[in-house]
Amino acid sequence: MHKTWIVTLETYLRQIKSWSFLFMVIGPFLMIGLTVGISYLSANSASSSKQVAVISTSQPLRQAYLKQQTGTLNTKITTVAAAKSAVKKNHLAGYLELRTSAHQIRADYHGSSTMASGLKAQTQNFLQQYQQAQNYRQAKLTTQQQRLLARTPVLQQHIEKKAGTANLAKTISFWILVTMIYIILITYASIAAQEIASDKGTKIMEIIFSSTTATSYFVGKIGGILLVILTQIVIYLLGGWAGFQIAWHSAALKPLLTENQSLITAVLHNLLNLNLVYLFLGVIIYTILAAYSGAVVAKAEDASKAAQPVVMLGMFGFFATFPFQNNLDALFVKILSYVPFFSSYFMPMRIINGTVNGWEQLLSLLILVVAIALFASYIGSQYQRLMLQTDSRSFWQHLIHGWRRQN
Amino acid sequence: MLSIQHISKQFGPVKALNDVSFEVPNGQILGLIGQNGAGKSTTFHSILNFIKYDGTIQWQGHPLSPADFDTIGYLPEERSLMTKLTIEQQIIYLARLKDQSARDIRPRIDDWLGRFAVKGTRKSRINDLSKGNQQKVQLICTLIHHPKLLILDEPFSGLDPVNADLLKQAILKARDDGAAIIFSSHDMENVSALCDQLVMLRKGDMVLHGTLGEVRNQFGKTELYVTTDWSATRLATLPSVDRVDQRQPGQYRLHLTDPAAGPAIFAELTQGHYIEEFSQQPPTLDEIFRLKVSEDHA
Repeated sequence: MHKTWIVTLETYLRQIKSWSFLFMVIGPFLMIGLTVGISYLSANSASSSKQVAVISTSQPLRQAYLKQQTGTLNTKITTVAAAKSAVKKNHLAGYLELRTSAHQIRADYHGSSTMASGLKAQTQNFLQQYQQAQNYRQAKLTTQQQRLLARTPVLQQHIEKKAGTANLAKTISFWILVTMIYIILITYASIAAQEIASDKGTKIMEIIFSSTTATSYFVGKIGGILLVILTQIVIYLLGGWAGFQIAWHSAALKPLLTENQSLITAVLHNLLNLNLVYLFLGVIIYTILAAYSGAVVAKAEDASKAAQPVVMLGMFGFFATFPFQNNLDALFVKILSYVPFFSSYFMPMRIINGTVNGWEQLLSLLILVVAIALFASYIGSQYQRLMLQTDSRSFWQHLIHGWRRQN
Repeated sequence: MLSIQHISKQFGPVKALNDVSFEVPNGQILGLIGQNGAGKSTTFHSILNFIKYDGTIQWQGHPLSPADFDTIGYLPEERSLMTKLTIEQQIIYLARLKDQSARDIRPRIDDWLGRFAVKGTRKSRINDLSKGNQQKVQLICTLIHHPKLLILDEPFSGLDPVNADLLKQAILKARDDGAAIIFSSHDMENVSALCDQLVMLRKGDMVLHGTLGEVRNQFGKTELYVTTDWSATRLATLPSVDRVDQRQPGQYRLHLTDPAAGPAIFAELTQGHYIEEFSQQPPTLDEIFRLKVSEDHA
């Protein structure tokens, strides 16, 4: 156990001290930071050129319009000449000229492109209300008459908010979970294969196998890689938490979060349960398979090839879930939710949707744990032979040879 | 004591080892010689349980098990270290796998680097070292935990005479500390200088086994070293002289078909007068090696 830990620590420290790990971990944060930064800069630089000036000879009309509209209006420009000049210099998107002629209100928009749809709708709404008020005043209607004329039909949708949120939460949880498994698998399959394959056929393995057992060394290597994965997950969880805290204290985002509080809670609830165990066990079994593939290659340079079968298997599991998101009672889904390598995708899907009871979850989990133990034990028994052989057999020949020797 | 009894190993149609037996007592050095592919590395791999074999190998009276790993020092034939590590990291990592604590090993590193005259500091990266210095670091990794069983596969290959001497001293020191040592080499001079006993393998068969004296004497005192003013042609007329090789001007080595002819040759060559050199010896290890190899080719 002591020597296993030494190997684990060495593998772990070597991986996390590498530049590739650093870039891999900070990559998403950099991407998010860059996206936010560029959006912010773009929004700031574009803000003036998106504004619209409002010009009118009737100050009450202009003031009434400005009072109703918010956001993209420029209140400083008050003359047509100034507005024209600003449009020409690309400081304004356009200007709106409001006037009243024979009790009819008219609005003319002048710009380099059509009015933004939101502003157009708001403007039409304003014009209609203002014109109606003018009309009522002109017609000298009583309050009762005005009320009667203002009567409109009612169309209202009644949505069960709770069920809607739950369904959305299921969909979001499912996607987060399978995507996490898939990304971790794709990333670490090649790292695990490379880590093992780089030792392949080297004499350092002979020195190591004269110091510790192959099984102990193999378990140590896998442990080291899993610790690296765990480190990355913890960093992302901390980063996510920090991002959430920042968003929570941001005036712009807080209303959005408050509005979706129940959805966020439901998603977190779906993720932070047995599904997290499935995620981790799924990563373990795929990492072991990748390590085995790394040990089977003929030489260290073939490590990238070694990860391919693992990646393909992972991709199959990932894409196979797509057609069954809304058909969780299909026999195919039920079967694969018990089959190691696929249960990590399919059982969480069923758990999120609540279509599987506790015993079934436990059985699937037990099968997965036993499969991991048997798989690790088999590879541990083969590991020394695989790592020390230096012949020129191909990947598949090695694989078949290994099975033949075993049986 | 390392005891190897009747071990055989077959790789497909190739017989790599065929009923090989020998023992290496504690505090003794055994040299394993043989051509490339004779079965030397296979013997080492069998001792270390890297491969399955027929026969029995025991260390201190029991089959070698993981519990014995910490007492073994193994130097493989080709050198291989973790090139991204520093010298210190590499030595400590491998020593920790031999159940040594970093705290114990760290203060010893500079002493070992000095002993092997490694060009580099403990913080130097393995990658930045010359091939010879990498080899010396690997030797340090093999020896620093004071192993009781030392297995060295071609330890002298690639070392210059000065460094080979440093290694010899280290091997002798380990022997004096009670280690059982087995090493392979193509350099018969090193084998002669170090070994208490030797084993020669040829295509998996053990063709020689014994102390250096025993092995040489098996071939009789057939080599006669003389310094004389006689010519090579005249020396060849002496009784039982099969071949005459000139070593230096006036210095010859005569190969005899019958070692018993020595006194007669002495009498004829000296004629009762002083002679600077007359030494009758068994063949050298190098000659025995060539002889045994040529037997197979004959």
